[in-house]
Amino acid sequence: MNFDLTDEQNVLADLAQQIFHDLSTIERIADVQAGDGFDRQLWNELAKVGLLGLCVPEEYGGLAMNAVELSLVLEKQGKTIAQVPLWSSSVAAMTLAEYANTALQALVLPNICDGTTILSVAIANIGANDAMNPSVVATDTDGGVRLVGSKPAVAYAQYAHFVLVSAKRADGSIVLALVDTDARGVTLNAVNGSDLQPQANMDFDVVVPTSHIVAGATSDGRDALRWMHERSLVALCAIQLGVAQGSIALTAEHVRTRHQFGKPLSAQQAVAVRAADAYITTEAMRVTTLNAAWRLAEGFDARQDVLVAMYWATEGGHSVVLAGQHLHGGVGADISYPVHRFFLWGIQISTQLGGASQHLARLGKLIAAR
Amino acid sequence: MLMHIGDSPEEAAFRDHARTWLAQHAPLHSIDASQWHDDLGGHVNACKEWQHVLYDNGWAGISWPKQFGGRGGTSLQASIFAEEQSKFDVATGSFAVSLGMVGPTLMAHGTPEQHAEFLQPMLRGDHVWCQLFSEPNAGSDLANIGTRAVLDGDTWIVNGQKVWTSFGQFSDYGILLARTEPESPKHKGITYFILDMKSAGIEVRPLVQITGVAHFNEVFLSDVRIPAANVLGQVNSGWAVANTTLTSERAFIGGGGSSWTVEALIETAQKLGRTRDPRVRQKLAAAYARAQTLTYLGYRLRTASSLGLLPGPEMFVMKLAYARHWEKTMDTAMEILGADATLWGEHSIDSGQWQHHLLSQFAIRLGGGTNEIQQNIIGERGLGLPREPSVDRDLPWRELVKG
Repeated sequence: MNFDLTDEQNVLADLAQQIFHDLSTIERIADVQAGDGFDRQLWNELAKVGLLGLCVPEEYGGLAMNAVELSLVLEKQGKTIAQVPLWSSSVAAMTLAEYANTALQALVLPNICDGTTILSVAIANIGANDAMNPSVVATDTDGGVRLVGSKPAVAYAQYAHFVLVSAKRADGSIVLALVDTDARGVTLNAVNGSDLQPQANMDFDVVVPTSHIVAGATSDGRDALRWMHERSLVALCAIQLGVAQGSIALTAEHVRTRHQFGKPLSAQQAVAVRAADAYITTEAMRVTTLNAAWRLAEGFDARQDVLVAMYWATEGGHSVVLAGQHLHGGVGADISYPVHRFFLWGIQISTQLGGASQHLARLGKLIAAR
Repeated sequence: MLMHIGDSPEEAAFRDHARTWLAQHAPLHSIDASQWHDDLGGHVNACKEWQHVLYDNGWAGISWPKQFGGRGGTSLQASIFAEEQSKFDVATGSFAVSLGMVGPTLMAHGTPEQHAEFLQPMLRGDHVWCQLFSEPNAGSDLANIGTRAVLDGDTWIVNGQKVWTSFGQFSDYGILLARTEPESPKHKGITYFILDMKSAGIEVRPLVQITGVAHFNEVFLSDVRIPAANVLGQVNSGWAVANTTLTSERAFIGGGGSSWTVEALIETAQKLGRTRDPRVRQKLAAAYARAQTLTYLGYRLRTASSLGLLPGPEMFVMKLAYARHWEKTMDTAMEILGADATLWGEHSIDSGQWQHHLLSQFAIRLGGGTNEIQQNIIGERGLGLPREPSVDRDLPWRELVKG
């Protein structure tokens, strides 16, 4: 048993920390948000050091790493609220590497590492909270599969070249398709997200050629969808862990240095204890997220572990960013000060993951139903 | 070594070996779950009997060096054995202080003579040990103790009062903190003693607790004589020695994981047909999610310990998270029991163990440092918040306002 990072993993995390810390400064984020919301300068730098190819196989120029390493890097992104489509592009690349045919891999994956091709995953569904029951309708046609329907709030879809889209046939089987965002019959509407990051609603009436069907072309692609979905969820948990840490770090600094009644705010135990509780929650998020990522990387059944990580990321992450915002007092209400960004992204991820009571309901069925 | 959240092949083999041995021997020494509250003296004897069996078969002190009579194994092996042992109804509770706290402290700070005299009988389960630290006026502020020890030739003469002494009424030895230099600041004038509990001048008064059991005691010390050879560490340097003990205590509380509690509660809920209720399942799921964090925090601590590293703030997080988990989970247990929750002991489900657990939360919240003290420490060490302003750190203890 060894629940610690290897030297290589520590080096990777340090590298990510340095890049996000140096480039994704408070001033830079404000500039990016005033612009188109995508920090391309940071994206190019991530490409230079190889982090865009983190989950790309070696034969396509990547580092061939797994969910644990991706989590470590995403945690550092969350800590600085950096505005790049890293989780969605990386999970899509992993999914292609695991399930796509060689020709499709050879077409798409080589250009991931240098950042020229950007991918995304459409994990939410209109009117349904069950990822395994997508609302987009799939029908087999000559030369491919026709997709009709919509996907809401797809991360950075307006900058993505391809999006992984799940759909369901009338017989209930699942198709996972790589949709070209420039294809005729694909419409994107950029929408404002509460986390201030780019996203778009997507409407489809498009025939995806068989060559671009990642899973479920001739059978049921359910396993591939679950595989992609679990990695998406854990990626979001990892970002949430970083968001929580970033919020606490700012908050600790604030309550240490802001004086009232002639002493630091943290000298008031009511303040210090609330900050300490946020720290405890963050440690719970850390161990459950790392555990879920490790189990996915090892290929073990991780259904319960992913739900536990999601529970802490939603319930815990929410409470941490709320404490951070609150402990900043009036300063937190001023959007020229950065703490609100942690609150907004934290709340967004809690909602994206689906809310704590939903996770508990599912986990309760798994562990106690009879 | 690569991350591996679970047993390595060697550890799995050790677990199998332990499980096989336990399956053969533990059932012969199993006790009734109610013994803990109905017959504490009988429980202490059952602990001694089981510890003898462990010792005779080479399972005592698994991570203790062979030179001290241990198995010379790893701390991970010790945790694995404890996990497997917890699945059997064997008695171990009265050795928590000796094996979990005193042993590590003695090995770290004791003289060769002290090692030779105390460690082997401790491992064999011959002696019960108790901890004489807290006082009526020194609980969270432990360094404020007022029990005095004065040197007379080669003997220390001790006067004072201790409290919350678990198993004091059954103990052969105690570890005692006493003030030996009142002119020094409070952390600097304390000495750590090994006390023979059969010495003249000791009066032990059991305190019956809310659970109905008296495992705590008050201990009154009147002109008790301790040979100078029974000082552990240096005279007036007892605080550093005490910190070894307290670190071991915090790691012990919650260190055994708590998934067994949740599994047992799920079984009870299923037995009562309560898991058909989705709200009950959600509460069990929340208990499970909390227990998972304890398991993994425990794994992190074990990893640090097996690499010879000092534990980080996880240790304080662990103790606090464990206390909170216990409290919430026992509330859930009461809901699951429904009207049966109002009954006691044999009249209730599962021999009343859930009610007993509910009421033992207070000992868990306070033991090893209160929840609030852990929060203060996490603020300081985890977040770098400034220490509480303390006016009394550098003043002579004699000048401090007491109680």
